[in-house]
Amino acid sequence: MSAVPVVAPTRPRRHSEPDASPRRHLEVAPSRAQRRARPRLLPALVTIGGIGVILLAQLVLSIVLANGAYQISSLQSAKYTAVLQQHALSETYDLYNSPQHLAANAEALGMVASGNAVYLNAKTGAVTGTATAAGGSLLGAGDQVGNALLKGSTVLTAQPATPAPTPTTPTTATTTATGPTAGATTTNSTGASQASTDTGTGGAGQAPQAPALLPSPTTH
Amino acid sequence: MLTFRVSRRRLALTMFAVFAVLTLFVIRLVDIQLVQAVELTKQADVIQSRSVTTYATRGSIVDSNGVVLADSVDRFDITAAPNLVAADGFDRKNADGTTTRVSVADAIKEIAAATGADAQTMYTALTKDPLSKWALLVKAVKLATFDKVTALRIPWVYDQRDPARTYPNGAVAGNLVGFVGTDGPLAGTELKQNACLAGTNGSSSFQTSADGVRLPGSTVVTKAATDGGTVTLTIDSNLQWYAQQVLAQQAQATGSAWGTAMVVRVNDGHIMADADYPSIDPNNLNSVPADSSGARSFSSPYEPGSIMKPATVAGMVDKGLVTATSHVDVPPRFTDGLPPGVFITDAEVHGDLHMTVAGVIMNSSNIGIAELTKLESEKDRYANLRAFGFGSQTTVDFLGESHGYVASPAKVDPVTTVTQQFGQGITVTSAQIASMYQTIGNDGKKVPLTLVQSCTAANGSVSYPNAGATTQVVSPFAAQQVRQMMETVTTQGYAHSLISIPGYRIAAKTGTAQVADANGKYGNDYIVSVAGLIPADKPQYAVIVTLAKPATIKNAAAAAPVYSTIMRQVIKTYRIPPSTTPPANTPVAW
Repeated sequence: MSAVPVVAPTRPRRHSEPDASPRRHLEVAPSRAQRRARPRLLPALVTIGGIGVILLAQLVLSIVLANGAYQISSLQSAKYTAVLQQHALSETYDLYNSPQHLAANAEALGMVASGNAVYLNAKTGAVTGTATAAGGSLLGAGDQVGNALLKGSTVLTAQPATPAPTPTTPTTATTTATGPTAGATTTNSTGASQASTDTGTGGAGQAPQAPALLPSPTTH
Repeated sequence: MLTFRVSRRRLALTMFAVFAVLTLFVIRLVDIQLVQAVELTKQADVIQSRSVTTYATRGSIVDSNGVVLADSVDRFDITAAPNLVAADGFDRKNADGTTTRVSVADAIKEIAAATGADAQTMYTALTKDPLSKWALLVKAVKLATFDKVTALRIPWVYDQRDPARTYPNGAVAGNLVGFVGTDGPLAGTELKQNACLAGTNGSSSFQTSADGVRLPGSTVVTKAATDGGTVTLTIDSNLQWYAQQVLAQQAQATGSAWGTAMVVRVNDGHIMADADYPSIDPNNLNSVPADSSGARSFSSPYEPGSIMKPATVAGMVDKGLVTATSHVDVPPRFTDGLPPGVFITDAEVHGDLHMTVAGVIMNSSNIGIAELTKLESEKDRYANLRAFGFGSQTTVDFLGESHGYVASPAKVDPVTTVTQQFGQGITVTSAQIASMYQTIGNDGKKVPLTLVQSCTAANGSVSYPNAGATTQVVSPFAAQQVRQMMETVTTQGYAHSLISIPGYRIAAKTGTAQVADANGKYGNDYIVSVAGLIPADKPQYAVIVTLAKPATIKNAAAAAPVYSTIMRQVIKTYRIPPSTTPPANTPVAW
């Protein structure tokens, strides 16, 4: 502790060394306000950088948006096309679903109307009702219920019994696979090329997928 | 100090200049954005914006199972802009990058090949006015054809949508569905339910670039399109087809002028089938004469004949005047209360007969009914017929529906007051007869006939047409008694072999009405009909068949095969089990 008073007086002397004074740069000490007013680099950089980033982001965003708009536009037009396609297909379906078309095809395949209905009571095993012979042709005297839309449409023809494929036949397609294609062969089709090709490609498309098996439906 | 002052002045000048420029800008901005805004927007729209119609789809008409009877479909008109046609043809880019020169004549030939339209007509349309911006080449082609034309990539060919109406089931229910002309609905349900079916077209606009390309995201819907609603009919289209088919076959075989066949569900008055012969195919408006383009079952009143008798008798049983087994003396001719020289006879000459009321129905005795009219006042008899719905439209309110005619006590003459009780001197529609049998089948409770089941709007909300009130016309006892009497027609009546179905109890009535000719005299033409309720003890369905002026068979036996075939189909369609009880063996004579 006794050393403290000895060291203390030397300090001011060291500050006022004679050779140090001419090189010393004198300056008015900035006031607090002046110090604050001086531009600071970092905030400026951050600000300018920030603006740049924002501008860039906006550019990117607008590019993405524009791209998205074009995508929306193309998807919308694709949807429109698909809707039209769906309308066209359901129109064809409704037409083929008409009783005239079904009856004409059923009778062309040799089907006849059934006779009286007879009921089997599952509980008692009793059969009620009077059975009669099949009712025969409904269209015997011709189709009386007109449908101008069916003019020239496809009517199936009774298919002659296809001989079973011989084991030596190299082709993989069997009667079941070719059935739909052969059965759908058009007969009196004149203006219904669309319809017949639809049916034709449907059958042909299935055959190679499932050789020697019933064509299995593709479900989604 | 001087420099400081100079710099301050400069600063002030600069600030002033900046503010001056800014003020100018603001003034210009206000001018553009506010003062001239409307005018400028208009100008810009003309240059950049295109407005298009968004088509609302007219709603469909479907049967009770959802089978589409009338539908709106897309068709496309192929149009061209003659002012854009280059006389020396155009270059078509091929897939491999080469181009092919296609002349105008070749292009038209290609369109003709794709659409099947006449090339010469198209060429004339295209070259008639070379400065025109629009020419129609082919009207209303289907999507497949339209796609083929689009694939040709002819620069001056355009298209426009042309919505059309189609009836995929053709003449099935064509009489009820009606049809649409170029300017709107013209007949049937299409016209009557137009408020439900019609959609409202909307409009939208979008901006285009200088080269006419639609700017994505610029579409503004100025008015949203509202699609039309779906009208659901009570009809079963398969049964309807069946009824039309067998009705038309028999009508042609017997040389009948027209015919109707109706199937009505007894408990709710729903019309399951309403066949007319001839019946229009709405796809081809020339398929039948104009007077057959609607539904005769609603629009054509006729004298029904004996098929009316159950209504008269039901009213009397209801008042407690008679029962099925009450005795009636039936003389060879009826003259009481009639002017001198006028008399009422039966179809077959007979002596004095002792019939029960059931016998009067079974034998279809006009004299028997005439004798019974003595028991009830003229006013009550008239009120009874009106209560069954004769003389007023059904609640179906079909387009052009007739009221028919029942002579009121104030206007009636001494003969008609008796004869209208057995269906002569009165006119009714097939629909009214169907409603009468519905009432008898439903234990005297008349449920208004329904053809339009509901209207489903595009937003999914369902509304039901005003159904009308259910009324108890006669007591359940009276209805049951009448059905017992009618059962004797299928077990013992003259046409019983034609109208009975083994295993089923059916209450039926035949009618052979004379038709007044042009001079108002009854001639040699008849309107024949058969009505039946199945099963007789608790009816589910009423079937009514009418043929007008058959040439080969002049009585109800002409209509019987149609009736019987449709009845068998009703049994199959709705799986009606055979009756478990024997038919009521009501005595017909005493």
